[in-house]
Amino acid sequence: MNSLLDTTTDPFVDGYAAIKPLLEIEGLPFFSPLREQAIRTYQEFGIPTRRDEEFKYTSLRALQEKKYKFGFGANVDREDLEVFTLGLIEAFTVSFVNGQYAPELSTHIELPEGIYVGIASDAPADIQDEIQAQLGKIATLQGRLGTTNDERFVALNTAYLGEVAVVYVGKGKSFETPIHLQYIVSDKSNGTYSTPRVLILLGENAEARVIESFGTLCGFGFTCPVSEVRLAASARLEHTRYQDESLDSIHVSNTYVHQETKSVYTSNNINFGCEVARNDINAFVDGEYCETWLNSANVGLGDQVIDNHTRIDHAKPNCQSFEVYKTILKDKAEGVFNGKIFVYEDAQKTDAKQTNQAILLSPTATMNTKPQLEIFADDVKCTHGATIGQLASDALFYLRARGIEKSRAEALLVYAFAAEVLEKIQIDAVRDALEARLFEKLA
Amino acid sequence: MKVDINVNYTMIPIVGNKVPLMLTISNLHASIEEKEILRGVNLMVKAGEVHAIMGPNGSGKSTLASILAGKSDYEVTSGSVDFDGKDLLELDPEERAAEGLFLAFQYPVEIPGVTNTYFLRSAVNSIRKYRGEEDISAKEFMVLVKEKASKMELDPSMLTRSVNEGFSGGEKKRNEIFQMAVLEPKMCVLDETDSGLDIDALKVVANGVNALRSPERATLVITHYQRLLDYIVPDFVHVLVDGRIVRSGGKELALELEAKGYDFIKEEIAAKA
Repeated sequence: MNSLLDTTTDPFVDGYAAIKPLLEIEGLPFFSPLREQAIRTYQEFGIPTRRDEEFKYTSLRALQEKKYKFGFGANVDREDLEVFTLGLIEAFTVSFVNGQYAPELSTHIELPEGIYVGIASDAPADIQDEIQAQLGKIATLQGRLGTTNDERFVALNTAYLGEVAVVYVGKGKSFETPIHLQYIVSDKSNGTYSTPRVLILLGENAEARVIESFGTLCGFGFTCPVSEVRLAASARLEHTRYQDESLDSIHVSNTYVHQETKSVYTSNNINFGCEVARNDINAFVDGEYCETWLNSANVGLGDQVIDNHTRIDHAKPNCQSFEVYKTILKDKAEGVFNGKIFVYEDAQKTDAKQTNQAILLSPTATMNTKPQLEIFADDVKCTHGATIGQLASDALFYLRARGIEKSRAEALLVYAFAAEVLEKIQIDAVRDALEARLFEKLA
Repeated sequence: MKVDINVNYTMIPIVGNKVPLMLTISNLHASIEEKEILRGVNLMVKAGEVHAIMGPNGSGKSTLASILAGKSDYEVTSGSVDFDGKDLLELDPEERAAEGLFLAFQYPVEIPGVTNTYFLRSAVNSIRKYRGEEDISAKEFMVLVKEKASKMELDPSMLTRSVNEGFSGGEKKRNEIFQMAVLEPKMCVLDETDSGLDIDALKVVANGVNALRSPERATLVITHYQRLLDYIVPDFVHVLVDGRIVRSGGKELALELEAKGYDFIKEEIAAKA
């Protein structure tokens, strides 16, 4: 294995050997074998090209060209948080700077019994046992239908396991306060890469609201997060991802969700930032009577590329999933949507609805969209609709007939198109802040 | 709130030539995709008057309303429309609204993501800007909106909801008249406002329209059925058939139509021809 590592030119493989000792200190002992396995898996694949099926429309060549260095912490003051849309929202906040835990920017209040929010190495022993039982088990598609087994960025993230953020809400517990996992890139010289890892475990009938936010204070980064979510029976999670990193940054995220009976998972996936942003959200619905809501609003201007892949595995009967992905593209921006829904043979009475809409505000913007429904059960209701186009003319006329000038009416409709998704966010302060940010982004 | 809706509005005096013309439609021809829908419409409406245009399906009623509001789907092939001294057909839809023309839509459009209040405030301010006036203050606007909403018996929660989204048919129509009350136009055009309304909703809507009747304001009610005209009593009734006004009269013409149906007019025309 060592010889393999020696001959590589992959910056992330090169970086691994040097950083390993630090990771050993930051993480838990059982992370070591996971890292070792993962770096080998990653190395088999390396940085993707557009010849790789999973990255057909999205070039990540910049990962090879830009010289990224592993992210060590940097000084970020509380006042600096003002620049971030969600920097000052009321929440139980756990902050990370360049991937490193920043206790000075985090909330330190005593949590109710049965609830833990923080990094893995600070967790109580019984919760560390839970972490060991789950970490890495959720983030995999191995053996599933129609997978290309290309999970190279999950492997890359696992190879750098260090300060894993953990949200643990035990059986029957409900945590009202929003939990904000805040990832900040602050780098005055070179590009920084970081691999945020999140593990969210909700016990039976537990409830929580988690926000992951990604922003850049200065410089640029390559952020490669992986979030693993396990919802026990009747658990309910609202999971908001808000990515607004600098326009020369790259973001490749993977979210894996495992749902048990009657659980409700809601994802709000918001992307305004980055030169290239790629998000995969995979929900494995492994219990009856579950609900899975995937909402997403994306805005790309200039040369931005926003690529969203989703996958819902309906493995059990009587479940519902609702997916609404919206993208606004202007200038030469590019968008990608790939929405897979698998309905397994046993999953009768599945009700899956997928909607994917894009608005192109200039002739040079492009959208590639691919709904992919594979249904192996016979008594199911599955619909999908994809539209790519301009603004609805009847709505435009309605606004103008009330006296609103054409240009303003158009701006209002573009805003409304994405705001419809933001409206679904249940945390008022987050929703209001993101709506204001959307308005600013489109101005 | 109970209002006596059986007020006799024909008592409003119409003072011959001294009342200015609000709307003059002259020999208006219009078509859509080469098909001629309006074939020479002539109509004069003075300030303070309420006119009703009735007609069977496909006679061109809604086309006329859409053309007045400036919908671009139709091509005006000849004729003219003068609106209070302006050449209406030369104006963009938003300019028409700012000049004081209001169309209550037959099918109000749902706009998810834009709240009713935000939408209406944008409309008020756009119109004020056109007239060279200052923006309305947030406070002033809320006072105005609350007052009008309560008059229209509008559930306050509808103000913070997205425009028409998930509204019932009745709520949508009520919302149209509410917008009309806030914008206070010179000329109200109601396009089949009664369609899809039950009798209670119809009364609320009619009350709202009647409350806006004034010597300075004109109203054009477009409807298929006489029913609405029991509540919004017109000064004049016109019958539109095949893109032309074939008969005009007082409010009793509506009753005659209701009793005999549109066929008798068609037969009359046929007999004359």
